[in-house]
Amino acid sequence: MSNEHSHAGNPASPPEDSAAGVMTKCVACSRELRSAVVCDYCHTLNPIGAPTDYFALLGVPRLFNLDADELRRRYLELSRHAHPDFFTGGSEESQVLAMTISSSLNDAYRTLSDPFERAEYLEELLGGPSSAVDKTTPQGFLDEMMVLQEELTEARLAGDHLALERHGETLRARLAQMMARVAELFADFESQLGCEGIRLECLGRIRRQLNAVSYIRRLVSMTAGT
Amino acid sequence: MADENDIILGIDLGTTNSLGAYFTAGGPKLIRDETGNGMVPSVIALAEGKVSVGSEAKRQAVLNPLTTVYSVKRLMGRGLADVQQELRFLPYHIVEGNHETVRVEVDGRLLTPQELSAIILNEVRGRAEQALGRKITQAVITVPAYFDDAQRQATRDAGRLAGLDVKRIVNEPTAAALAYGLDRKESATIAVYDLGGGTFDVSILRVDKGVFQVLSTHGDTHLGGDDLDRELIDLITTEIQSQFGSHLSFGPSTRQALRDFAEMTKIRLSAELSATVEVDLGEGRVYRRTITREEFERRAKPWIDRTIDACRQAVTAAGVSVEEIEQVVMVGGCTRIPLVRRAVEEFFQREPYTAINPDEVVALGAAVQAGILAGVQRQMLLLDVIPLSLGIETLGGAVGKLIMRNSTVPCRASEVFTTSIDGQTSVDIHVLQGERELVIDCRSLGRFRLTGVPPMPAGLPRIRVTFQVDANGILHVSAVEERSGRAAAVQITPSHGLTGEEVDRMVKESWKYAITDMTAHRLIDLRNETQRILAAIEKSLARAGSVLLPAQKQALDAAVAALRAAAAGEDADALWNAMSAANDAAMPLTQAQMDAVLEQTARGRKVDEF
Ligand SMILES: [Zn+2]
Repeated sequence: MSNEHSHAGNPASPPEDSAAGVMTKCVACSRELRSAVVCDYCHTLNPIGAPTDYFALLGVPRLFNLDADELRRRYLELSRHAHPDFFTGGSEESQVLAMTISSSLNDAYRTLSDPFERAEYLEELLGGPSSAVDKTTPQGFLDEMMVLQEELTEARLAGDHLALERHGETLRARLAQMMARVAELFADFESQLGCEGIRLECLGRIRRQLNAVSYIRRLVSMTAGT
Repeated sequence: MADENDIILGIDLGTTNSLGAYFTAGGPKLIRDETGNGMVPSVIALAEGKVSVGSEAKRQAVLNPLTTVYSVKRLMGRGLADVQQELRFLPYHIVEGNHETVRVEVDGRLLTPQELSAIILNEVRGRAEQALGRKITQAVITVPAYFDDAQRQATRDAGRLAGLDVKRIVNEPTAAALAYGLDRKESATIAVYDLGGGTFDVSILRVDKGVFQVLSTHGDTHLGGDDLDRELIDLITTEIQSQFGSHLSFGPSTRQALRDFAEMTKIRLSAELSATVEVDLGEGRVYRRTITREEFERRAKPWIDRTIDACRQAVTAAGVSVEEIEQVVMVGGCTRIPLVRRAVEEFFQREPYTAINPDEVVALGAAVQAGILAGVQRQMLLLDVIPLSLGIETLGGAVGKLIMRNSTVPCRASEVFTTSIDGQTSVDIHVLQGERELVIDCRSLGRFRLTGVPPMPAGLPRIRVTFQVDANGILHVSAVEERSGRAAAVQITPSHGLTGEEVDRMVKESWKYAITDMTAHRLIDLRNETQRILAAIEKSLARAGSVLLPAQKQALDAAVAALRAAAAGEDADALWNAMSAANDAAMPLTQAQMDAVLEQTARGRKVDEF
């Protein structure tokens, strides 16, 4: 047995052309769909047309800068109409559809509600390089980390919980700072409307920043013990 | 939709007690007997073909310890290796079954934990039918949140064996949250601490205008009130042996009596500062001892510390801080223990909330979920999570995670597989559950064999396997070969569980082995089945009666007459026998019809071909 990788939750190859905001119509009432799967007006479940990205599923703009409360409100509202609990008396077909749609909404929310996961997802969706392809980090980052990682390993071996906790705190602050930078880079990208070359350069910068964030996240989990 | 006959019973199938509840316009209501008691002890006595359940079974446990079965929940979805810890405390015999399962040997029979649980479920159902005066065929059954896939499936199978259509398996802590009606809150983060007879769970939830979203859950399916009882049993037996000689061994009856003493002492120590135990060992030897609460707490503390560790992990996994948790709900009889309350209060920095009887709250919550599923309660929705990660075995005995723990259900993941040999038509997948990196450290959930892959050169097929976890937290696997578009068949060999065929067979045999005969159900079910059989025979006779030989026709007529007579009587066993006899007598008729069908299809095909 052998198997190829296809990450749960990530579309194998993000579609280039599916622009933000799906303009398809509800199968039941023909009004425009905001979420690709649940009609805002008649609450009918619409089959998932492939390919549909997470932003389209939840019917939110394809932006990094999403309001967490608004995203959650949206997710809960859609779940109120799509959850299998409300279809137990329905046909087999409607039960399967509810399970499929609910599963997708859950996947979408899990990914988009975490800023790092959202950034990774959006980066690939916009056609940026994946972490498997481009493993580089911003200049000077690795040198700086080398020292820190040594200190962490030492603290772990010595069982120095105080030191680990102190490092954890510093790293979490650093993480927040770095994610703020990610937000800036995405805003940069969004303002570069015309030139494809500059846009690709932006995505490259985001990639390097995300690789660094991913590194810091691993270090944070090191400070948490286990 | 809310038809009178459509009532869905909420059932808390507990380690020590089970309860039923149903949903009404005024909220969930517990099923109680004439004395107002809602709890059915999860105890079964089987002797000489007679089955008794609940208080009656519990009362005679000391007299017949070998034929009294309790704590069955600890055996659900488990193999012999998993229950070693339990074995030394359970007086009844446990042997190994198929696919790493266990069987309980009692009254000359080997019964699965599923069948035994079915007996308890049937008792709860029977009581509900009596109280409500109507037949009940649908249920929501609760399980510990930390139950794995095999344990959930075992519970669902138990429901089927009891003749129930199990509409949903719900996690106990989440059910409790539903019962508390915290939906009236605009938005809040709450914790549910659930210490039952044999399991411990903690769940962190976010409640938002009626939507209950579980953020994380953690627990231990080998930790419960039973363990605290055992601490007391150990204390008493050690002292008895040191007082009256270490050679003194305890027979099953004495052990059962000690168990009762321990349970009573534990309960007394929640209200009082000390309790006195007296055990008459015969021959003038009397062991007498006063156990203080402090002594008990010293022994209970390591167990309670473990629950607090789980709380810490659940809070971390939920991504919240302890300060953000606004309410802590207590569930399970053991949360009456003062030490438990103190420990929970100290950790959460908040006085625990206990407005609803901790023994009843789970069943009430199951009834609320039943109301949601029946469409009568549309204001609430439960978004629960899968407690353990799901993965598949990859090269070198490692586990590739597909679905992470604490993912909201339903959820799905897919993975593409291919073949490694030219012309290979099947692929094996080993699915595991757990958090560790290696196969040997995770729990095997089962092996899935995908067959019907079109023969192609090695590496060419693209078999997309979809792992779908439903709202019950139960996994379903399906597969499609993408190049040919052909669906592959999936054969499952469960680890720690029953195959679909085994359950089907047990459902049939349950009539013969009287698993469901504690109530009038059996007779009703058999009569319904009789009507179906009689109608089928009549139809066949009209269609193909001419193929029967005179002797065969005579035998069939006689069997049908006997069956009609038996159906009018009250003897279920006689009816069962008459039904089997009629089935046998109708065999030549069935055979002839089958042949006719086959011939027709064959003819049809020929016409097509030419
Ligand atoms: Zn519509």
